[in-house]
Amino acid sequence: TSGDIEDEVQPTAKSAEDRKAAAALSKLDARGDDDGSPGREIDQEAVKNAMSALDNKKVGEKKEVKKVKVDAADVALLVEELELSKIKATELLKAHDGNAVAAMTAYITPVF
Amino acid sequence: MPQPLSSREANLFRTVIRNYEDKQYKRGLKAAEQILKKNPRHADTMSMKALIMNAQGKTEEAFSLAKEALTIDMKSHICWHVYGILYRTNKNFDEAIKAYKFALKLEPESQQIQRDLAILQIQMRDYQGYVQSRDVMLKARPHLRQNWTALAIAYHLEGNLQQAENILTTYEKTVTSAPLKTDFENSEAILYKNSIIAETGDTARALEHLETDAKNCLDRLAVMELRAQYLTQLGRKDEAAKAYRALLERNPDRQDYYKSLTEVLGIRGDDEQGLGAVYAEYAAKFPRCDAARRLPLDFLTGDAFWSAAKAYLTFMLDKGVPSTFANLKHLYADSSKKVILPALAEEYLAAKEKAEANADSSKGVGAALYFLGQHYSYHMSRDLAKATEFVARAIELDPKNVDFRMTKARIFKHQGELEKASLAMDEARSLDVKDRYINSKAAKYQLRNNENEKALATMGLFTRAETVGGPLADLMDMQCMWFLTEDGEAYQRRGNYGMALKRYHTVANIFDIWQEDQFDFHSFSLRKGQIRAYISMVRWEDQLREHPFFSRAALDAVKLYLAMDDKPHGTNGVNGADGKGENGEDAAERKKAVKKAKKEAQKAEREAAEKAAKQDPNKAGAQKAKEAEDTKKKDDDPNGLRLAATQDPLGDAMKFLNPLLQFSPLNVEAQVVGFEVFMRRKKYLLALRCLRSAAAANKDDARVQEQAKRLREATQPLLGSMNPKLKKALETGLAAVMGR
Amino acid sequence: MDIRLLRPSDIPLIQHANIENLPENYFLKYYLYHALSWPQLSYVAVDASRPKKSAYDYPKIVGYVLAKMEEEPADGVQHGHITSISVMRTHRKLGIAEKLMRQSQLAMVETFGAHYVSLHVRVSNQAAIHLYRETLGFQTEKTEQKYYADGEDAFCMKLELSAIREQIREAAARDEPAG
Repeated sequence: TSGDIEDEVQPTAKSAEDRKAAAALSKLDARGDDDGSPGREIDQEAVKNAMSALDNKKVGEKKEVKKVKVDAADVALLVEELELSKIKATELLKAHDGNAVAAMTAYITPVF
Repeated sequence: MPQPLSSREANLFRTVIRNYEDKQYKRGLKAAEQILKKNPRHADTMSMKALIMNAQGKTEEAFSLAKEALTIDMKSHICWHVYGILYRTNKNFDEAIKAYKFALKLEPESQQIQRDLAILQIQMRDYQGYVQSRDVMLKARPHLRQNWTALAIAYHLEGNLQQAENILTTYEKTVTSAPLKTDFENSEAILYKNSIIAETGDTARALEHLETDAKNCLDRLAVMELRAQYLTQLGRKDEAAKAYRALLERNPDRQDYYKSLTEVLGIRGDDEQGLGAVYAEYAAKFPRCDAARRLPLDFLTGDAFWSAAKAYLTFMLDKGVPSTFANLKHLYADSSKKVILPALAEEYLAAKEKAEANADSSKGVGAALYFLGQHYSYHMSRDLAKATEFVARAIELDPKNVDFRMTKARIFKHQGELEKASLAMDEARSLDVKDRYINSKAAKYQLRNNENEKALATMGLFTRAETVGGPLADLMDMQCMWFLTEDGEAYQRRGNYGMALKRYHTVANIFDIWQEDQFDFHSFSLRKGQIRAYISMVRWEDQLREHPFFSRAALDAVKLYLAMDDKPHGTNGVNGADGKGENGEDAAERKKAVKKAKKEAQKAEREAAEKAAKQDPNKAGAQKAKEAEDTKKKDDDPNGLRLAATQDPLGDAMKFLNPLLQFSPLNVEAQVVGFEVFMRRKKYLLALRCLRSAAAANKDDARVQEQAKRLREATQPLLGSMNPKLKKALETGLAAVMGR
Repeated sequence: MDIRLLRPSDIPLIQHANIENLPENYFLKYYLYHALSWPQLSYVAVDASRPKKSAYDYPKIVGYVLAKMEEEPADGVQHGHITSISVMRTHRKLGIAEKLMRQSQLAMVETFGAHYVSLHVRVSNQAAIHLYRETLGFQTEKTEQKYYADGEDAFCMKLELSAIREQIREAAARDEPAG
């Protein structure tokens, strides 16, 4: 009774040329290789050390984010006049210390 | 709360997953139904069912089922994962990322969810997110080289070169066995690291790394080119010259090598003799090399140019190389060369006509006549009467020559005789019906003469016969940009706005596809190990829509939408329309068109529903799958009626205008039409932005001051009631444009 | 004329040249697949004398060779394959196809250790067959029935790359004298 199920095949391309292309493209997102063997010998101890070294380095990296107060009315103004998303408008205002005129002026000034 | 499944049903559930992965959708659905019969509110099964339905093209049902499953079990990572996949397959990547993040919170150990999330992050260029994901993935499986490479890529793209290099070096230190000579994943990884060092600007270190670690890399050309480049940058001129000479031995047709070689040799740009000697050396050494002979014509002047050009022209015309004129015409920017070249051709012609009888007509006399025909047809040296004469003589000599006929058609085009041009090009086509190039040209000339139907028939001589939907479907499948754009422009000239918009939207959609095309490569390239090529793709994709293929169609579309917006207000469409055909439609007709479009859409829906109802649910699978695909693909607005019936042409224009302004800000045309759209939409600040960009891109464009005046006049009466901050920004910006 | 390696940014105009000239066409993604799998093997001919038309001008492609390595060679021998090669009608008789091919073949051997290169050609395409056979030294291996979408047969042609392998060996021996 599974006759209707058996042949759930994709329609194939007519020419050998097309089949080749289709086959290549359909394999692009294959996942099998991810589990492949590493190929070369790896020093497990060195890996462990390397990993922890990476972590130590990252600690000092956190950048400080400047705190700027942004007026909601200004955000609304930028969203309306510059057609930016709320997030983008807020970022733009923050980049200009909350000064809406400066933010708008910068946005309409060509960078080239 | 999730319902626990009996062991039998738990097994069935695993079957569902396997069936889905094997694309056995019907089996999967059947198994899912069996589970749901006993456990109707089993959220995970509902989600899997939704996933399968989505794969079958039932997107909307799939979404509503997946949502229902989520409301039953908010804590299931499977439900969230499926929700993410649904968004991903429907190209809503932002929402997909959110869903994956939820799934991952519930199931932090899932490598599959983490992997899918990472790919979405890099696709959306969320570099910080990608760094985080790749960091987690590396920690989970540090024995795989590609996990190290991937984290390096993440840092590299984020702009953290130092950390990128550090990751690659760290991996190298953990490896204890030596790589095989043929291990090109290793070879590429070294060159990738080298490119990162070079990007830091430390050329000395890059060279050192290249000469030690990368010495045996399998990409020989890259090693040679990088070495030559680094040596040059470091001022080690003798060695650099040697390196460039080695490259020229390998490929004497690479122009950059000559330029770099003469530079490191210290030959000044105006030292014609010195430069000439270098080229002459390679011309003598490589008799089949074109660059060494052609390039000196760029810098030689006076007598030296005359004799070099004569030798070159004689050689090419004797051989009958059809590209001779195309290859020389850019020299016409120099007025003396513009005089010398045709004189040489005439001289050659006179001498040959005396000597030659009945030889190969594409060579000698024929080639010279052809050259002169093109010369007088070219815009910088145009004399169409003379051009006609030369081409007529050439055709007389060889009536069956396709190239000669092509030039005849081009001359008609320059005369504004579009119909004659179309006929002449079709005549050329008929002389070599197996050549697609001349076939494409014939179709293009038909489009220039607004013969859309004929042009499609011409194209159909070479498209694949078996493609469902005929030649047009094949051309769309094969992403034939030039045809779609020219077809749209022809429809626009005929006043058929629906068809024109249809084509422009198709072009824009193909760009969406091209952007999505990179998706699979984020993981594929890691497996293949060709990282430099991957990085170069990512950077190109970031600028994808600056391509003239996009800007041309986008400009056309924006102009058309502007014309559509103008019409209801009484001003006739000034942009693009020529007053022919259906162009005279007014508001009433537009309403009619909307109605008609609606009706047609309803009819199409009804037909599809009937067709689906008629289908025997037990009919053979393949046939049905194909039909399903056909209906899925079916276009419910093939003539663009719905597009043309829009109530908001300016809003629709934004789909084209935004990317145009974002990616081609230096395109003055784009800024000019952008101004018009924003003015009509009363977004004055954005109009001003276009104005300022146009002025920066080309300050002499006359339209800038005219538009500035218009903006001032439009905003003047509003200033009193305007938000003072907006007013300030407007006034400052306007002063910056008008003050120059 | 400039003969150089393909870059991803060339692809839209390579695709354009292909569909302008030949009946066998591909999605952009298939070109990407080549460019990202074997970036060393595909070359383009560019009209380099043409001045830039705008800030967003892309080099005009007048010829290209799109090449790959056979991923699972049936005979177990590493070899390259020419997926597509074409030169605009307006730029013929300049030897462009030959130059593109030679660069590609050199890289096939150097980077991937290819022993030979293969290609398919329509049995009716006299001009191309002449180029492959006479100018480049390819030999016809066999005929593949109905290889093309319209039912036409293809010649499967092959060129041994032993001469290039020999050259490379000699060059290597010169650089590092045995010792």
